[in-house]
Parts: sequence; C-alpha cells; structure tokens
Amino acid sequence: MLTAGLVAVPLALSANSLTVSNWGGAYIKAQKQAYMDPFAEFSGIDLKLENYQGGFEPLHVIDESSQPRFDVLDMLEFEALLACEEGLLVKFDRFDRSLLKPTPNGISPAQDFIEDSILDCGIAHLEYATVLAYNDRSFTDEKPTTVGDFFDLEKFPGKRAIRKNPHAILEWALMSYGVPSQQVYDLLSTKRGLDLVARRLNQIRDHIVWWEDGSAPVTMLQDGTVAMASGYSGRFFSARVNDDIPISIVQEGQLLEFGVWAIPKNSDNLDNARRFIQFVTSTKSMAAMGNLLPYAPTRNSALQRIGIHSNSNVSMRAYMTSSKSKGTIRTNSKWYAETEEIREKWFNDWLESN
Amino acid sequence: MNLFGLQTITRQIIYRIFVLTFLGCLIGVAVSIVALLFLDAVQWMNKQFLISPSERIKYAGDPLFLNTVTVLVPALGGLLVGLILRYLVDARRSLGPPDTILMVQTRSQGESIGSGCMSTLASLVSLGTGASVGQYGPLVYLGTIVGQMFRKLNIDIRNLQAICVASGVAAAISATFNAPIAGLVFAHEVILRHYSIKAFAPTAVATAMGFVIVNVVFDRPPLFFVEFEGIQFGYEFVFFAVIGMLCAFVAIIYGHGILACTKWVQQTRIPVELRPMIAGVFLGLVAIWIPDVLGIGSTTLRFATIDHAFEISELAIIIVAKLVVTAVCLGFGFAGGVFSPILLIGILFGALCGGILDSFTAIDHSGVVPYAICGMMAAASPVIGAPLATILIVFELTHNYDLAIAAMVAVVFSNLIATRIMGRSLYDVQLSRRGFDLSLGRINAITAYEKITKVMHSQYLRFHPNDKIEDVVSKLSASGYAEGIVTYDDDSFFGVVPLQACASHDPSEPVRNAVDRNPLIFTELTNVDEAVEAFRIFIVNIVPVVSSQDQKLLGVVWDYDVINSYLRTIERLRHEENESI
Repeated sequence: MLTAGLVAVPLALSANSLTVSNWGGAYIKAQKQAYMDPFAEFSGIDLKLENYQGGFEPLHVIDESSQPRFDVLDMLEFEALLACEEGLLVKFDRFDRSLLKPTPNGISPAQDFIEDSILDCGIAHLEYATVLAYNDRSFTDEKPTTVGDFFDLEKFPGKRAIRKNPHAILEWALMSYGVPSQQVYDLLSTKRGLDLVARRLNQIRDHIVWWEDGSAPVTMLQDGTVAMASGYSGRFFSARVNDDIPISIVQEGQLLEFGVWAIPKNSDNLDNARRFIQFVTSTKSMAAMGNLLPYAPTRNSALQRIGIHSNSNVSMRAYMTSSKSKGTIRTNSKWYAETEEIREKWFNDWLESN
Repeated sequence: MNLFGLQTITRQIIYRIFVLTFLGCLIGVAVSIVALLFLDAVQWMNKQFLISPSERIKYAGDPLFLNTVTVLVPALGGLLVGLILRYLVDARRSLGPPDTILMVQTRSQGESIGSGCMSTLASLVSLGTGASVGQYGPLVYLGTIVGQMFRKLNIDIRNLQAICVASGVAAAISATFNAPIAGLVFAHEVILRHYSIKAFAPTAVATAMGFVIVNVVFDRPPLFFVEFEGIQFGYEFVFFAVIGMLCAFVAIIYGHGILACTKWVQQTRIPVELRPMIAGVFLGLVAIWIPDVLGIGSTTLRFATIDHAFEISELAIIIVAKLVVTAVCLGFGFAGGVFSPILLIGILFGALCGGILDSFTAIDHSGVVPYAICGMMAAASPVIGAPLATILIVFELTHNYDLAIAAMVAVVFSNLIATRIMGRSLYDVQLSRRGFDLSLGRINAITAYEKITKVMHSQYLRFHPNDKIEDVVSKLSASGYAEGIVTYDDDSFFGVVPLQACASHDPSEPVRNAVDRNPLIFTELTNVDEAVEAFRIFIVNIVPVVSSQDQKLLGVVWDYDVINSYLRTIERLRHEENESI
C-alpha cells in the first residue's frame, strides 16, 4: 500500500497536465478553438502550449533542462519520419484499436483515414499547404497566377518574402521552368536540377526578404514590406477572412504536406498524450478544425462535415486544400527525409555564394 | 463426330479461341512481371553503383571517390559481361530483337533458352553498371524467351511459336513503356511483319495484361511526364518535318556508327571476354566529364523537355558524346539494345533544334516540348523500323493528341529518308549481314535464307569420265533419268551427261566426250530463292550440288523439290496472313 501511494504522487501530477506544441498565429488560434479548449473541458487536464517551429531540438531535451519538454508535437511529416527513424518518437501499434476512434457511423479508422496518413510514429491529421501569395494592392492590373510569376520581377516588381530554409522554394524554382509536378522531386535530386534552381533564385536574390516565423509573411504582405510571399495557406486565409487583409493566393504551386501528431520518447506522460491524440483525431474535432482553417482533414468522415467557416459566413469547401487541383504538389516527405543533408548544404552554399 | 451437338470444326475453333486467349493472358502476366522486376533490378543496381544522378549528388563533395567509382563500375561490369557472353552464351554475343525476328520468320528453334537467359543476365549487368545501351532490346528478348517456353506445349496450333513470341514481346513493351497499343503494333510491325487475326487476338490479350499489371497491380509511373498545352502555330509543322529529315541523318549516323564499330572490333584480336571492359573504361572516362552518357539517362531525358534546361553547346556535346559512347559500348560487346540511347540522342537533338529556333530566330513557337518529342521519335523510329509503334508510344506516354500528330509528321519524313539510305531498320541491316535480307519482303527473305541443301538428296546415277557411252545410255534408259552426273573416283565433280547428248556420239567413246562441262550447278551456299531464279533461265530436271570449297559432289536437287519448297513457303505465309483463328 505504501509503495502504491508513493508512486501515485508523480502520476497524479502528470495526470493533470500536458505540454503541446504551439505553431503560433492563426493556426494555434484555430487549434485552440477546435482541439485544446474542448479537450481541457472534457478531460480536466491542464494544457500547456509551448512554442514550437519544427526541428528536433525538443526531442533531445533531458530532465533538468530549462527547455520545455513536449508530450505531444504537431510535426512536419518529413521531420516525423526522420525522428521516427532515429528512435526519438513513440511507435504506435497499427492494430491498436484504442488509439483512434471509429466515425460516428461506426466506420473503422483504417477505412476512414486517407492513404498513408497513419504512420509508424504518428497520425497525420490534416493536409496543410505552403503557397505563394501576394498583396492584391501591389498589383493593380494583372495578378500573378503562376509559379513563374513569383520569379518574374519585370512583370510583377517588388520584394519577395521566402522562408529561410531549403523547402518549398526548391520545388517552385524548378516548377517555374515548366517541370511537371509529378517529376519535380526526381529532377530536384540531381545536380542539374539544383543548378536550375540556383539560376532561378539568383534572378531574385537581391529582392528576397527571409522569414522564419510562420506569421511573418502575413505581416510583411500587410505592411507592404514585400509584394509577394511564401507562407501557409491557412494563415493567409485567416488574414483575409478574419482580419480583412487583401491577400490573395496563387493557385498554382500549392505544396501539400501532412501535419502529424507524434509523442516524443522523452515525454513521461504517455497516457495523457494518447488521450489527447484520441480526442483530436476524432471525426468531430477534425471537422471543427476544418471549419476554421482550410486545411483538409485526413479523415473522409471529417471532410464530409466541412461547411461554412465557424466564425464567419465563408464557405470552407471552396478554399480547402486538395491534391486533386492542377499544379498542386503533394510534398514527398520521404524525399525530404532522405535529402535533408544535401538540401541544407546546397542551400547554405547558395546563400554564401556571391 | 457430333459431340455435344457441335461439328468437329466448330469445336476446334472454340478450342483454339480458348487456348490462344488463355495463352495470351498467361504470357502477358508472366512477361510483364519479369520485365518490371528486370527494370527494378537495373534501377537498384544503378543506385548501388552510383550511376543514378540522385545518388551521385551525395558524393559531390568527394570527386576523387566519385571519379574512381565512375570508371571502375563500368569497367568491372564490362569484364563480367564479357565473361558471361564468352562462356555462357552459345552465340558469344548478346541476343536481341534481330534474333527474335529471325526465329519467328524462319520458324527456326533460335538460340537456346539457357543462352537467352544468360544473355539477359549480361544485359542486366550492362545496364546496371551504367553501360550506354538500351533496355528495351533485352526486354523484347525476355518476352521472346517466355514465348519460347510456351512453344514447347503440344497443343496443336499452327505457328504457335510466332504467336507466343509476339505476345511476349508485346507484353514487354506494354508493361515497360506503359503503352499497350504500341506494344501490340510493335509486335506486328517488327516481329510478325503481318496482320492476321489469329496472331492479333492473343497478342492484344497479352498487351492488355501488361497494362493491367503495370497500372492496376503495381501502379508504376510512366517513363516521363510532359506538360503541353498544344501546338500554337500551324507553320510549326514545317519545322517538325524538317526536324524529321534531320533526325533521319542522326539515325543513320547512329546505326552506321554501331555497325562500323562492331565490324572493326571483330577484326581486331582483342579477346571477346575483354572487349566490354575496354568500352567500360572509355565510358567511365567520358562520364567523369559528361555524366549524362551513363546508363539509359532517364533523368537527362526528362530535362530535355524543359525549356532552357541545357545550353545549346551543352546539348551538342552530350549528343556527340552519347553517339560515340553508345557505338563503343555496343561495338565492344556490352549486352543491350539500341532503342534507349537513340531515344535520348533524339530528344536532345530535338531540344537542340528547338533551342536554335528560340535563340537565333524571332519566330514564335510552342516551346521546346514538341521539338524534343519529335526529335526523339523521328530519330528512334528508323532505328527499330516501327514508325507506327513510335507514334503510338508518344500518344500513350503523353496522352497528348497534338504531340502525337507532330511526332507523326516528323516520323514520316525521317523514315522516308532513312529507309532509302539505311534500310528499314538497324535490325534489318544486322540481319541482312547475317544472310537474312528482309528488304524485298518476307517471301524473299525466307527463301533466300533457306539453303538448297535442305532439299538435296542422292537419287541419281553417277559415272566416271572414262565409262563407255553405251553403258551410260543403257543405265540411264533403264532408270528413267534424263541426265547422269559424272565425277572422278574421289567425288570431284566433272560434269553432267544428258541422255540426248549421247546419241550424237559413238557408243564406244568414253562418256567424257558427251559431258556438258559447264552445266547449271548449285553449291552448299545456294539458297532456294537463287535456285528458283536459275530455273527461270535453265531448263533442267536435276542439278548437281558441288562443294564451293573443294569442288566435290555433295548431292543433287530436283527442280520440283526446289519449286515445291518455294511454294510451301508462299503457302505458309498466305496461311499465316489470312488465318482467322
């Protein structure tokens, strides 16, 4: 009895709190409304949101560190794949029926989740899009419609805001030559492909403003620092719908990628983490999220429940990410995981050149 | 017979429909799976041995290591290929479409299945270690081997071998190009050389199975994708025609380069087993400078349809390098086909033409895509002699009608010129050098390939030059022969003595006085076609066959034997071409 009592104390402590990643901006606002607040109310667990902008640092945090330790991370798919490979994430048993709930109509998760969304160490919950956007007031006549327009300073003058990492910009640079989307990753894996990317980036080198925080492109577009920017479609959507900022998205070149719920191995709060993931991957939660940001949920049952924006009267379906629309690329996370080193090195070399 | 109320003939037809369809299915599935495994194995080896650009980039920081591997891999691969071909393949060379054509057209056994498998292994090693050779030739031969296996079935169907082999070839093209219609047409244009519903049906079933396996079971992506909106200016078709004509010369240079190199190497004293290794070293050294020449170059192929992906000078250099390297690789005996390299050379040449148009003229055009595709198909089609199949490949690969029409124009003009100068295809040229000349049609080729010795026999009367005429006359009259053959005791041929000629001589004279010393004779090299031609001028019943080496008598042929043989061939072809099922 005595032993049981001693053990119960730390359990009881952790039983009432959970640290979850916070990507900031419109994204966390929507997540709070759809996931965290209802979960806290439902479970009585105290949720702590800590800033996370991708990467593996939090996965290596040890006990006595001042850095926050996460119990649940919302990760980029390729990073989740890499972290899983390196053994930094808790593995799920694919046949574990207690983690994912069936739909309200009783359809099993295996049938309801879209292809490839149940991973070894994570559950893909939505498909977000990295897109090119522009301030509508910057271009009063013709509007940019293609990826090529982003690199065309003559036709569409003005600064360009780009995330400072070798991510989407590689795909866009290659697509601007007319490379079909199905072939982009194949050709990006070659020296010739990267040379073409460098040639394209050199054309706008002096006009690039780098950003690192996901909310920056909206701000820069709003205050006119830049005319065009890369960024997440949900935030641009929210800026226009919620904040009435005149931002438009270029239809071509949307890069779709999964957001993935994962549990770091260094978390000692496995039970609560699993409860959280079970709650937020339910049809109801995912539909609620989809009605706030136009990121397509990975459950078909949730997608069927998308209607009108929860806080305004905009139809969400019209803005929903979809891999079926033309000029859209489904990000090849496996390729990203494999080429991490090459991409980083190439990108740094390019930054330093000239 | 009236079993189940059906006539025998009806039952036989139902039996044949069932068996042929089933065979087509079986061969289609077997070949497409094996072909896909072959391609996977090549791809896997290319990754392991740093042939793929996506692997090479990982070692960009260590040029010494990368360059060493670039030379060593094809060199060692070449050595292995040389050893396999020398010791495990009967013909001591790699087998390919020409062997398939010969086997099907002459209804011969062809090379053994064991040799075929070893030749395929040699191709796998060649392609896997980056040799600049084609992958479709070996795949066509793979289809041939599977077809050969089914030939042995004892199921009472005429021309079973040709049907099985054609089905195998069609399935291989269908599966690997993701082009079922082109596969069907290719088998008819290149292998069967005729259209009969009997062969068409099982071949179509096999090619459809190939499509099902690739798209439904394995879900493979096509060879390449292009994004193309359509031909914007009507006058561009003139450019396509011009590119077609230019490509004919590219194809001719390519074909003759390979032939010349092969001939030259055969005249040297380099041992067969070492030849590919020498080519491997050469290839590696070139690849250090121009890595695009390695392997089948599918990445380079994909870049070719992209505007401004290459400088014009760069294109010219790669084209020349690839032409030279491919001729060396094939000439020195690397095992592989001729199609993939010319696809690459053609598409780069097309891109070069498009680039020149773009850079040096102010003419509006629809971008590099149609020029590259036209170049690719116009250069490749005369090499394999399949204009229809190549046009269909464009259509099936790109799903773009405009591109198919553009390619058609280029292909037609290319074939017009190349056929005049080179012949119908490189395969046909290679075959005609082996004595099977298809340039005047199948009847000619087959009868010219059949040696007269096939119908030779020894039913004749033989005399010595010193035999008396009276003896000769009595023996000939008794046997009913109109002519006798006169030889020395050691079988050396002396001449022919016609019975009529004896009448004008004294019966006691030696027969040598009545002998025709310059009659019509054949040698062991004479073929049925030549013999029939001879009978148009000479009226004789019996023709001696004399060895071309030592003038000894080998036997005789009767005129009706030769004519029957000729008619049998015609009859067989007529049957083949008109049989319904």
